[in-house]
Amino acid sequence: MTMGETSSRHASTARPKDAWRYVRILFIAFLVLWLAFTLFPLYFMTITAFKTAAETNLTTPTFWPQDWQPANFLGVFAERTNFNALIDSFIIATCNTALALFLGSLAGYAFARFPRQAGGENLAFWILSNRMFPPVAILVPMFFLFDITPWGTDSHISLILLYLVFNLPLATWLMMVFFRDAPVELEEAAYLDGWTPLRAFVKVTLPLVLPGMISVAMLCWIFAWNEYLFANLFVGTAVRTYTIVIPTFTHGSQTLWNLQMAFSLIAMIPPVVLFILLRRYMVRGLSLGVVKG
Amino acid sequence: MARLEVERICKGWEFPVIDELSFTVEEGEFFVIVGASGIGKTTLLRLISGLETPDAGRVVVGGRDLTGIPPYRRSIAMTFESYALYPHLTVYENMASPLRARRLPVRERDRRILATAKLLRIDHLLERRPGEISGGQKQRTALGRTLVADPEVFLLDEPISHLDAKIRHELRTQFHTLEDLRKVATVYVTHDYAEALSLGDRIGVMGAGGKLVQIGAPRDLFERPQTLAVAEHLGQPTINVIPARIIDDDGPCLQSEEGTLRLPVTDFARPLLEKLQGRQVILGLRPQYLRPGHDDTRGLTLRADIDIYEPLGTLGIMLVRCEGVRMTAVTDPEMTYHSGETVTLTLDLDQLFYFDAVTEKNLAVGD
Amino acid sequence: MARVELKSLNKIYGSGSHSVHAVQDLDLDIADGEFVALLGPSGCGKTSTLRMIVGLESVSSGEILFDGVSVTHREPQGRNVAMAFETYALYPNFTVEENLAFPLEVRGLDAATRRRKSREIAEILQITDILGATPPELSGGQQQRVSLGRALIRDPSVFILDEVMSHLDAHLKFQMMFDLKRLHRELGRTIVYVTHDQVEALALADRVAVMSDARMQQVGDRNTLYNRPTNVFVADFIGEPPTNFFKAEVRIGKDRPVLVVPDSDIRLTPGPAMAQAVMESGRSAVIAGIRPQSLHLSQSQGALQARVAINEYLGERSMLTVTNGSARFQCLAPPEVRAGVGETVQLDYSPDSIMVFDPESEALMG
Repeated sequence: MTMGETSSRHASTARPKDAWRYVRILFIAFLVLWLAFTLFPLYFMTITAFKTAAETNLTTPTFWPQDWQPANFLGVFAERTNFNALIDSFIIATCNTALALFLGSLAGYAFARFPRQAGGENLAFWILSNRMFPPVAILVPMFFLFDITPWGTDSHISLILLYLVFNLPLATWLMMVFFRDAPVELEEAAYLDGWTPLRAFVKVTLPLVLPGMISVAMLCWIFAWNEYLFANLFVGTAVRTYTIVIPTFTHGSQTLWNLQMAFSLIAMIPPVVLFILLRRYMVRGLSLGVVKG
Repeated sequence: MARLEVERICKGWEFPVIDELSFTVEEGEFFVIVGASGIGKTTLLRLISGLETPDAGRVVVGGRDLTGIPPYRRSIAMTFESYALYPHLTVYENMASPLRARRLPVRERDRRILATAKLLRIDHLLERRPGEISGGQKQRTALGRTLVADPEVFLLDEPISHLDAKIRHELRTQFHTLEDLRKVATVYVTHDYAEALSLGDRIGVMGAGGKLVQIGAPRDLFERPQTLAVAEHLGQPTINVIPARIIDDDGPCLQSEEGTLRLPVTDFARPLLEKLQGRQVILGLRPQYLRPGHDDTRGLTLRADIDIYEPLGTLGIMLVRCEGVRMTAVTDPEMTYHSGETVTLTLDLDQLFYFDAVTEKNLAVGD
Repeated sequence: MARVELKSLNKIYGSGSHSVHAVQDLDLDIADGEFVALLGPSGCGKTSTLRMIVGLESVSSGEILFDGVSVTHREPQGRNVAMAFETYALYPNFTVEENLAFPLEVRGLDAATRRRKSREIAEILQITDILGATPPELSGGQQQRVSLGRALIRDPSVFILDEVMSHLDAHLKFQMMFDLKRLHRELGRTIVYVTHDQVEALALADRVAVMSDARMQQVGDRNTLYNRPTNVFVADFIGEPPTNFFKAEVRIGKDRPVLVVPDSDIRLTPGPAMAQAVMESGRSAVIAGIRPQSLHLSQSQGALQARVAINEYLGERSMLTVTNGSARFQCLAPPEVRAGVGETVQLDYSPDSIMVFDPESEALMG
């Protein structure tokens, strides 16, 4: 950056300076366009949530509600179980994340510190294999597998365990990377201070990887919160996640877009709040490598 | 409080790093292990501390065999070359770590940390984190963390070698005066021979092959090295090594293999050279005992041509050729000489070492 | 080849109340072919200075001249300065020869010339036997040589070395110092050597520029810095072990002043020149300094007595830490000295070796 400073001072003639200005303007214009492109769905979602059902079905879409209906947001809870769906989703996402983090940290630690004993060479394949087949391929087998368990498919536990199939490899992989970055010597110093390996892990290693861990937690939580495919097949009666509730907002053969969007917006609140609360730690998580003594 | 015994300890991976190495450190003794970088000194400390499991042999502290006892149940404190301070904890919390592990009452903990911090002059830094203090201060904190632990054995791994000369000097002096260090068994590892000589009650010189080549008091080591390797490792500039033969020229005298340097056999050397296995001998002469000037009382006067002369800070180093033999001599750095000049040097015959050319053992030191 | 002049160079980072004045009114004139060391503790501004010479850092004010031509605002590529770093910064997947030739390749030289030049440099640095090896296979000393070679091969007019020896152990360092001096003699290139290690600086450089607190403290050869340091900082920083300092009161003896160290029996009598400066200053209290090398053990009654607190045997010499009253200081002794802790030793010094500093400005008197 200091180089830039020297060069701009050195550039005494006006020409290159103007050229730079055009490039900047073009760049900003591009950014604005791109932003509009990405923000538009969110915008359209929001205004749809405020429209009347009739307005959502006009052949010429309106980009500003003619008749504001904030009551839509209460309307989605006309059926009490809809609120319970949010709670079910929350329970499933949170428990799954906790489990994925707990197991993933232990596994990640083992892979980081004892790569040979833990069969580290095969880890990459295990992770990749989870991405090699479409999730739908295991949908039916998984259904029958869970069906013979005592708690069946229509339960919190079934989804909590099922989502580990996706979240555990991710958590293991990322935690392994973070543990590798945390110097072994610090743990050894802790042993010599008199801490047992488990306490050294909790007292020294864990605080070092905590920022990274929070980032992993966010990723896992958001996946479990938003998952639809498996939830749709597995649960529905005793337990309902919010994702499978959204398509139920219909009136006869008519889709109630306004209620679907209102409910979707409400469902976006928890992850957004979580992100805002934990953002500070996540940023540090990305620069974990700097922690070294 | 206890003595440390290391008995025929072995450790190796693809090839042996530590090979049947033994030594004993008495309670209150400061034992220094000196050797080149990468020779296995750190591995040795890790074996003693229990961070590494020996392939064979044992570590005994206070009569108790520590084999199979994990590091956190040993009363051994160790500083790491990289300091290994916990970056997320303050200086105080770093020092408190060993005391917390032992569940010491808070008041006692505070008292000990404060006392140690004062001693090490880091008491004004207690609330800072390792990232916010200088290298010297980090080293003091690492030292403080081991000192407060009040262990039976101290292990110090190159504690001052990465610091500035001035701080190094200051900390070295401090090692002499730290009572806590001086009352237990301490093993101090360094590659710097001057540090070793200065600090050690006894020194073990570690050679290639994972053995201690010689163990002894600093003076013993420097003035009576058992092998050529020890003589070469201690001292700077490195000792002059002159391979020679014994010839008869109106009585025995020493003729250098290279060049035409001829040295008389002193009364001291005569019985030694009789022990020699062949006719060949390796002479060792510290550059300090080859000085410019004419001094008949101290030894032999020689004429030499200067190849290179460099005043290097506290010493002037002169690379000379003397009767075709290349040697290093030292002078006062304020003197000026030029390459190609001829000088008169005095060689102190009493300071010559005689090594067997085959075994490289010092003939004057019995086994 | 080039003469390098720095004229009232300033570097200010940031602006307003958060600005840091890293280099302040720095003047330095380096002759063509001279070997100058820039020495100072960490954070003294030497790295900023060096980065300005190379062109990696913009100059806040002042001028940098190469052979009388201003290069102050020139890009690094346009300055023909080569630099070798503390970390060797070698390309690990290239062989030594490829590493050496890389700067030439960048300049578009043909393969035959590159080959010839890298052989030449390897010859000078005595690394011809490892040209086919890759950096990870080399020792620290060898890597450092390759790194030097890569900087040299461009035939720069100014050659900058940044803490190049701090990773080497004592024996290697010693060898490297020799090599560098030989290199300088053979190539006759202007070299600026940046270090925090005074032993390296004094050993290598024709002149040493001592920096502290963003300012140049003193520029001079070894003897000047050693015998006539401009202030307490330089006297303390230069020399190993460091200078002993005493806060002393000035008493006027018969015709010359005596420096009395409170709470001890130490009375120091400076040489005539220094004595006169003390008299003229009219100060009643001063800072007196004497180097450990200047205090000699004496068999008979010496100029001062002291009790031994520590006797450090260092092989070629011994260092005694001694006390007298509340004063604690150090002196060097021959290795034969076996004075034990608590023993009293007699010390002598030459009056000319006493340095006297002003207690406020800390500048050398006279």
